[in-house]
Amino acid sequence: MNASLNARPEIAEMDEAALPRMSGELVFHDEWERRAFAIAVSLAEQGRFAWPQFQANLIAAVAVAEAGDPLHPSRGYYESWLDALEATLSQAKVLPDPSIVHQAKERL
Amino acid sequence: MSAHHHDHDHDHDHGTPPSPYHSNRRSPERTRQLTEQVARLEAVLVEKGLVDKAALDGVVELYENDLGPMNGARVVARAWTDPAFKQRLLDDATAAIAELGYGGLQGEHMVVVENTPAVHNLVACTLCSCYPWPVLGLPPTWYKDAAYRSRVVHDPRGVLADFGTVIDDAVEVRVWDSSAEVRYLVLPERPAGSEHLGEEQLAELVGRDAMIGVTKAGAR
Repeated sequence: MNASLNARPEIAEMDEAALPRMSGELVFHDEWERRAFAIAVSLAEQGRFAWPQFQANLIAAVAVAEAGDPLHPSRGYYESWLDALEATLSQAKVLPDPSIVHQAKERL
Repeated sequence: MSAHHHDHDHDHDHGTPPSPYHSNRRSPERTRQLTEQVARLEAVLVEKGLVDKAALDGVVELYENDLGPMNGARVVARAWTDPAFKQRLLDDATAAIAELGYGGLQGEHMVVVENTPAVHNLVACTLCSCYPWPVLGLPPTWYKDAAYRSRVVHDPRGVLADFGTVIDDAVEVRVWDSSAEVRYLVLPERPAGSEHLGEEQLAELVGRDAMIGVTKAGAR
C-alpha cells in the first residue's frame, strides 16, 4: 500500500485484487457464476422475462448485500445475481414454484 | 448433470483460475452449495426445455470472447476519423453503434459523452453494475464494487488519481450514472500526435478504462 492509497480508507481496505489499478482481472471466479450468468442471459434473450425486471431485482439484491457495510458486502456479486435470477423466474412464472429446484436435488 | 456428479464435489475448484478476490471471503462449503444450487436450477430449466447446455455454452463463449472493449474501440476510432459518424453517435448512440454491427442485451439506450479540452466524463453505475456489454463486454470487478460506485460520486478526481489520471483543475469532471434506462460510453479525446494513424491503429489506442473515463486514450 502506498501513501495515497492509505490516505483513502475505503480504497485501502479493499482486497488487493479489487483495487482499480488491476487490469485484465477475471470476470467469473467460479464455474457456477459463469452458468448463472448464462442462464439469465439465455432466458432474457428468449423473452422469458424482461431484462429491466431482472435488473430491478439485481439492484435490490445488491442493496441487501450492502445494507450493513457497503465496503464489505454480506455476499458476492454473483450470489446477488443468483438471488435476483431466482426472484425473476418466480415473478415471471418461468419457475413459479421455487421448490421444484429443490425437489430436483435427489436426481443429481 | 451426470450421475457421477457427487463424486466430484470436492474437486470443483480444480480447473478454474485462482481467485484471490473471492477465495478469501467464500468458504469451500459455500462454493459447493452455490455450485449445487446453480446445477439444480440449470437441470430444472433443461428438463422444462427452457435452456440447453450448448446454448448456455454459446452465451459464455460470446460474452467471454466476442464482446469486449475492442468493439467500443472501433466505435471510438470511427468517430475520430469520420465527423458525420461522430455526429450520429452523439445524436443517437444506439443507432450509430448498430451501424458497426454491435447491439443486444445492455446495448439499448446508449448515450455517448464526449471528452473535450474543457470536460472530462466518467461513468459508473451507483446502484449495481449497468454497463454497455456489446461495446465493452462484461464489467471489471472494481466497477461492480461499492468502493468505486460510491466514491466516484463524491470524489471523482480522487478516483481518477488512483488510476493515475491527472485532470487539470480547470477541466470540469462530469460523472454519469448508468442505469437500466441509459448506458453511457465515453468518447475519449484523440491523443495528440495520432494524426497520421488510420482507423485500425487508432482503435489500438483505445482501452476499456478510457471508455469508462477513468483513463485517457493512448495512456497506459
